[in-house]
Amino acid sequence: MTKTITIDPVTRIEGHAKISLYLDDSGHVNDARFHVTEFRGFEKFCEGRSFSEMPGITARVCGICPVSHLMASAKAGDAILGVRIPPTAKKLRQLMNWGQIVQSHALSFFHLSAPDLLLGMESDPVTRNIMGLISKYPDIARNGIRLRQFGQDVIRILGGRSVHPAWTVPGGVRDPLAAEDRDQIKRALPEAFDIVELALDLLKDAFDDNTAEIESYGNFPSLFMGLVTPEGGLEHYDGLLRVMDSEGRTVQEDLPPERFREIIGEAVEPWSYLKFPYYKPYGYEDYKGMYRVGPLARLNVCDFAGTPLADRELRQFRRLGEHGKPVTGSFHYHYARLIEILFALEKIEEVLADPDLTSDHVRSNADVNQMVGVGVSEAPRGTLFHEYHVNEDGILQKVNLIIATGQNNMAMNRTVKQIAQTYVNGGGLSEGILNRIEHGIRVFDPCLSCSTHAVGQMPLHIQLIGPNGHLVDERIRD
Amino acid sequence: MNNANGILPPIRPHKPAPPPKPRLAVFKFASCDGCQLSILDAEDELLALADKVEIAYFVEASRRTLAGPYDISLVEGSITTPEELERIQEVRRQSNYVIAIGACATAGGIQALRNWHNVDDFVRKVYAHPDYIQTLDTATPISDHVQVDFELRGCPINKAQLLDVLTALLIGRQPRVPSYSVCVECKRRGAPCVTVAQGVPCLGPVTQAGCGALCPAYRRGCYGCFGPAEAPNLEALGQRFLAMGASPDEVVRLFRTFNGYADAFRLAGDKLEEMQQ
Repeated sequence: MTKTITIDPVTRIEGHAKISLYLDDSGHVNDARFHVTEFRGFEKFCEGRSFSEMPGITARVCGICPVSHLMASAKAGDAILGVRIPPTAKKLRQLMNWGQIVQSHALSFFHLSAPDLLLGMESDPVTRNIMGLISKYPDIARNGIRLRQFGQDVIRILGGRSVHPAWTVPGGVRDPLAAEDRDQIKRALPEAFDIVELALDLLKDAFDDNTAEIESYGNFPSLFMGLVTPEGGLEHYDGLLRVMDSEGRTVQEDLPPERFREIIGEAVEPWSYLKFPYYKPYGYEDYKGMYRVGPLARLNVCDFAGTPLADRELRQFRRLGEHGKPVTGSFHYHYARLIEILFALEKIEEVLADPDLTSDHVRSNADVNQMVGVGVSEAPRGTLFHEYHVNEDGILQKVNLIIATGQNNMAMNRTVKQIAQTYVNGGGLSEGILNRIEHGIRVFDPCLSCSTHAVGQMPLHIQLIGPNGHLVDERIRD
Repeated sequence: MNNANGILPPIRPHKPAPPPKPRLAVFKFASCDGCQLSILDAEDELLALADKVEIAYFVEASRRTLAGPYDISLVEGSITTPEELERIQEVRRQSNYVIAIGACATAGGIQALRNWHNVDDFVRKVYAHPDYIQTLDTATPISDHVQVDFELRGCPINKAQLLDVLTALLIGRQPRVPSYSVCVECKRRGAPCVTVAQGVPCLGPVTQAGCGALCPAYRRGCYGCFGPAEAPNLEALGQRFLAMGASPDEVVRLFRTFNGYADAFRLAGDKLEEMQQ
């Protein structure tokens, strides 16, 4: 008798997903899979559009990280024009990008994960949510909302609104920043710094209560990939691709991101529609090429952060890895996220002090000069690639988007399996166990609108393979 | 039961139970999540809202999903899969008010651009095993499938408008959402007309207000996030753009974006395309 347990929908993540667990005769978890259920079709319907429309169109891939798509798309556009954008435009884009890191990470930590961390994984689901947090810890909830608001305000002040701002364009940005708007951001900074310090304290307190979780929530060796500055520092907007293994060896020295095809392959599995990107030189077999992206990976691959407060936290973070090796526990995505908020706030403070920031020269103009453009940015959830092929009029012939959540696909599947094997053994399924498995997914903060920009719902095809490789059971749900 | 020691139980003061809070549900179909996130974005209002309604179903915010019925259901996204076809019927059955929020729910959204193509090509392009993908040929608005009580436009929706609609339902008045065009907001804002002053094609005259004339204020043409305004004359506007030197392709693309599948925009784009052929 085999049994399948389905968690549907997976809640408090962005988008719709479900998880299937496959149990063997004795009730032990044999396998676990993470499914996404939606269809949108961006790559295809963008064909025939102009590359200059793409920031506006691809922002609609995602309502949480529209800014990441704006950045990657505008940068692909810069490459098609073949221009270097004005320095002020680059700083303004970075400012917006850091604003987005703050708002998205605050959403992940306070709104989506804090209810588990502060109220307990096994606590009553009726109140284990942002509303429950508001009634039990009103100050913390309010602070979380305020911190996210800070990031959203940076985006809104620059782009006119916080979701889908029509602001970045190929060649730069549409509008300069007025001095009074700059000062408005500056005035809100001290409160944001206070809140992130508080969040760091809260999380460190939660470490003691979650030692078992830290051990079993996606704790395994893998590769890590992220952008670094030419000097090896933490980077979110530009820079070079670096890949590191869990021993701390740099297996891919800093590669110009437009050459990403040389190191990233995409595998498909018959049981899933979401592609499985992998590190090409290591191959897809046996999870050898599995890599993680996002805050944990970025902090692992960089040599230093580059701002004083974030560097101080980074030194503490590094102690979580064995003998100075990279941190392999996915639970620490939470910690990495908070360090990145701190870093983003420090960088915002730094750039606001730059007298160039309010210059009027924010756009370089050119016609189509290159037939291919690749744009890369670090989205809150990891490295994002936009690749456009155009004709002489700038009309798109081919579009490829590789999004962060897809790149964590292998690691998320493995995380679900690890948690299920730790907590689901013979006994029944408590609400707490279901929520643990969900929390394992939540640490990656997956963005399923992004993941499903291309592909969609499939009837579930479940196969149970016995120890000798023959098919024990098979189910097809349509 | 015999009360041996003679102490009487305290009298419970007679207090009528407070009326149950209205139950709010938030449902997602194919979309980017940006509209439902404006509920979490409503910052301070969120705290007040938590007080006034019971959030009975909101998977983005809570693991708890309560069974219906719901007093108010906010529905984001368009209908793109056979599963969604069934789910929207269930949402309708369980809900007193169904409010469609955003361009996906009210017009099919950006993914409705696939309605002009063969959907099999889409699936084949991105997926090695197309047999596993189950999808409808079209992405369609909620009102194509069930009766919708109110449609709140926008890509994304305007947070203040959402709060107005919720407030209106809670206190029993009509929502105050304008049906006039972006031009009215643009004039009110004092922005120069980009079409007249710069010769930039702008959908402002045919697009419903709601964004505060965001794009014209940045000196770019409106691209129709809030869908067609009341009685829009797209044909005349299209002719005007052509006379200004825009190519027919450009004009068709302008009509076909986030609200491209809304009747007025769709018919105008299709007509222009036919005239070309």
